[in-house]
Amino acid sequence: MALETYRADAMRCSRCAYCKWVPLDLMKSWRFSKGCPSIEFGHFHSYSAGGRLVTALSLMDGRSEVTEKVKDSVFKCNLCGSCDVTCKMCRYDMEPLEAMKELRFHLVEQGHTLPQVEPVIDGLRRELNMLGKPRAERGDWAAKLNVKNLVKEQAEFVFHAGCRYSFDGDLGDAARTSVRILQQAGVDFGIMGEAENCCGGRAYGMGYKAEFETRRDSTLIAWQRAGVKTVITPCSDCYHTFKRLYPPASGCDIKVVHMVEFLDQLLGEGKLKFTKPVPMTVTYHDPCHLGRQGEEYVAWNGKEKKIFGQAVCYDPPRPRYNGAFGIYDPPRRVLQAIPGLKLVEMERNREAAWCCGAGGGAREAYPEFSNWTASERIEEACSTGAEAIVSACPWCERNFLDATAGGKRKLAVYDVMQLVEKAL
Amino acid sequence: MEISRDAYRAIEDIVGPEFITDDPAFLDSYAFEWLAELVRPNRSHYMPRPWAVVMPASTAEVQGVTRVCNKYGIKIKPISTGWYHWAAPMKDNDPTIQLDLRRMNRILDIDEKNRFAIVEPYVICAQLQAEVMKLGLNINIIGAGSSTSIVASACAYFGGGPNSYSMGNNSDNLLGQEWVTPAGEIIRTGSLSSGCGWFCSEGPGPSVRGITRGVLGSRGGLGTYTKCAIKLNHWPGQKVLEPKGPPPGYRLEIPENFRVYTIGAPDWDAWVNCYHAIYDNGIGYVFHRQFNLAGADLAAALWLTYIDPKKTLNDVETASKDPAIQKVAEEGRISFQLILAGNSMESIKLQDKVLDAILAQTGCYKVARFCEPDMAEFTNMYMQRLGHKHCNFIWVGGYMGSWMQAGTPDYVRNYIPTAIKGFERDQKSHLLVECGGDATMGCGSTIGGGGYFGLEQFVSYDPNDNDSIDACIKHMEDAIKDAISVGVPAGKEALYLQIGWSDERIWDALSKIPQQFILNFQTKIKDAFDPNYLGDRNYQWIPPGWGQKADAK
Ligand code: SF4
Ligand code: SF4
Repeated sequence: MALETYRADAMRCSRCAYCKWVPLDLMKSWRFSKGCPSIEFGHFHSYSAGGRLVTALSLMDGRSEVTEKVKDSVFKCNLCGSCDVTCKMCRYDMEPLEAMKELRFHLVEQGHTLPQVEPVIDGLRRELNMLGKPRAERGDWAAKLNVKNLVKEQAEFVFHAGCRYSFDGDLGDAARTSVRILQQAGVDFGIMGEAENCCGGRAYGMGYKAEFETRRDSTLIAWQRAGVKTVITPCSDCYHTFKRLYPPASGCDIKVVHMVEFLDQLLGEGKLKFTKPVPMTVTYHDPCHLGRQGEEYVAWNGKEKKIFGQAVCYDPPRPRYNGAFGIYDPPRRVLQAIPGLKLVEMERNREAAWCCGAGGGAREAYPEFSNWTASERIEEACSTGAEAIVSACPWCERNFLDATAGGKRKLAVYDVMQLVEKAL
Repeated sequence: MEISRDAYRAIEDIVGPEFITDDPAFLDSYAFEWLAELVRPNRSHYMPRPWAVVMPASTAEVQGVTRVCNKYGIKIKPISTGWYHWAAPMKDNDPTIQLDLRRMNRILDIDEKNRFAIVEPYVICAQLQAEVMKLGLNINIIGAGSSTSIVASACAYFGGGPNSYSMGNNSDNLLGQEWVTPAGEIIRTGSLSSGCGWFCSEGPGPSVRGITRGVLGSRGGLGTYTKCAIKLNHWPGQKVLEPKGPPPGYRLEIPENFRVYTIGAPDWDAWVNCYHAIYDNGIGYVFHRQFNLAGADLAAALWLTYIDPKKTLNDVETASKDPAIQKVAEEGRISFQLILAGNSMESIKLQDKVLDAILAQTGCYKVARFCEPDMAEFTNMYMQRLGHKHCNFIWVGGYMGSWMQAGTPDYVRNYIPTAIKGFERDQKSHLLVECGGDATMGCGSTIGGGGYFGLEQFVSYDPNDNDSIDACIKHMEDAIKDAISVGVPAGKEALYLQIGWSDERIWDALSKIPQQFILNFQTKIKDAFDPNYLGDRNYQWIPPGWGQKADAK
């Protein structure tokens, strides 16, 4: 798709600036009323979804050129999708999030890249992961776990740990705990081990579409060879990539399950019981990629049509992703099933959650912005009185750990799986 | 034309380099405005580009920047949330600094006992409402919705909304303001200027509220308002609004001391009688004709689709053909939304009884489907927070309001048939959204306390289609003629169109209106507070003697 595809959205943007806020109905305080980290940090209108639509239009029409400031405004955004949810409160079919991604592709294709991101992408090309770690070490986390290696064997399910869980030792045992639970549940699964690829989702977010496509194709071929029908992952970033970014590729009919969904199902079927109390008050952070961006992909190929003279809709009807049906309840049900654990909500939750700051390449490209975004969430978590913030994505957890590292705020950071392990 | 580097540097020294920009793409993001395509050459979506965008953080910085502008002859256009084509600079090649006030975003005080709050320009209605509701208080949210700035609606516009019926407009609720004049002076109004606090807008001390406002408000044309005090009202509802359900149709539980109704009328006479009776009996907390923004033919189909999160605009087409929904559309053709709030159960029961008696007397009725729990709870959420106001744009992204002349209910009833006929006629081109001739909506009041209001035709056009844009412009011109044909002054469409006119054309038009003394007065105010003419003509004035020579010829 070319940037031109989004011209109509740009022309029809009403400059209402809803995209800067949480849905107005959900506003509960001044302090936590903002939805968009980018505009809060960058201030100028260009750092909002509406502003970027104008940037796209202005560039397409040759009214302006790509300057350092333009690059900064285009890339200093978490692609968290909060703007998309709020925009669609009143604008059924606007796609500001997709337009902003396309604007990034456009800049990268034209060579307007960020120097600080280039080494990360080089690392991906070389080592097939986003952390620039030696690819030979990718499967080390699963040593001694006695799991099928799907490079050599076949299985219906593949467990995909993702780059962060494969290499970031600080994040605890979420991947290993997941494997143990899958084993106990008797699932016929395996891992790709050393041959597991980066899913490509983060490169996509950074604007490197070609790199994403290479990783996607390579992953799908490997899964096909291993007879995989379902992928299970504890990483929300990978989850979104598999669920929403892979399907448009021909022949991809892989079912995608997040570990929290799997756990929720086991609990629902009575196949998993928590035995040990975890006496703790926690708050749950909805990862953008599992929550509002975790909705089911629906294939669509159609065109705009007008009804009632000028009202715009689509033929056939176009799916609408507005965060209404993201994965919000499964992780909460899992946490609530843990004896002794008390779950309290932050003001901005579910489709209105504030981003952790790691998305859209912000962690790699703009550490200060990324860390500030995470700190804002930590403040919100602390305001609930919780002792810990819990998420279901290693990228969120890494960012929260970094934001609390200075010790200004005493707040523990967990993955749902870590608390599950305590309760087993 | 490039901004003087000296001026740029002088402003940069005040706000810091990260809070000023003249990057062309950034400037375009400010020039791009709703309605621009209706008034700009070649249907451009851009108003004139500002020379630079500047973000002051304090009154002192606003004053500093204003003084630099005076020194270098640069015009000033402040914005808070920055919506409407008149928020942008109005003239090409007229160096204008866009002051974006979003860094001035604090609620400075909530005085619970004396019932007022002091806010900076980038505090939006939803933020303040959320905070004051915790204290059992509420604010009037203007008709444009809760994403709008309180300072802008109170100091620089008239600020009417669904709550105005019980709470007054924000221009009435303004209890003090801090104003950086275009000359760079700081003026504080009313009691504030005597060091007595913010409680009274009219003194002791100078009352410049009328001076700065004019009838409509200066809309950024006469300096910068940097703080205001706004009156707070009683709120007998939930301390924190806890909406239910997935987006977009959030629902808000209706407390036992509240009632949420959509009231239908068999004809406009009954509608007017019902309005009078409700007003005369002093019942009601929110009074608004809201849902008809979608057009009377389609409103039922749209809203009953909207509250289903699985549906999209395609489903509205199907719904509009459903006989059951068509019946609801007929019942609600002439309708309005009414929320009753009781301070006690006795009070709400009494209000309910009074309403029933009014309905029996006037032949009006509750629109049953819209009063069922799902729609009533949605209505409650919608009207209490006004967080869905930009559904104005739901059909295709372009909406323009024509008519809206305010007056007594009888006055409005008299122009409504012409407004409906005119819109019906203009929809026949198929270049505007065909929603029926009646897409009129509006607040239950345009002066504090009710009894007076206006209805605005919601005309939807496609801003991505030049033919549709042209059809909207034609409708605006037609609406002016239609209004004149029934002896009513031109409405909002004229106000919108004038933004695209040259100064000379505006002055020619102004020189023909009666009551020239108002303009002469405003010209003197302009001379006194804006000696270098750095504000724009959103604050209306006329050069002395303009038009007189032409008349003499
Ligand atoms: S992107 Fe959507 S929410 Fe933002 S200004 Fe445009 S229409 Fe409004
Ligand atoms: S994706 Fe997130 S950070 Fe980016 S513009 Fe939207 S709300 Fe802001």
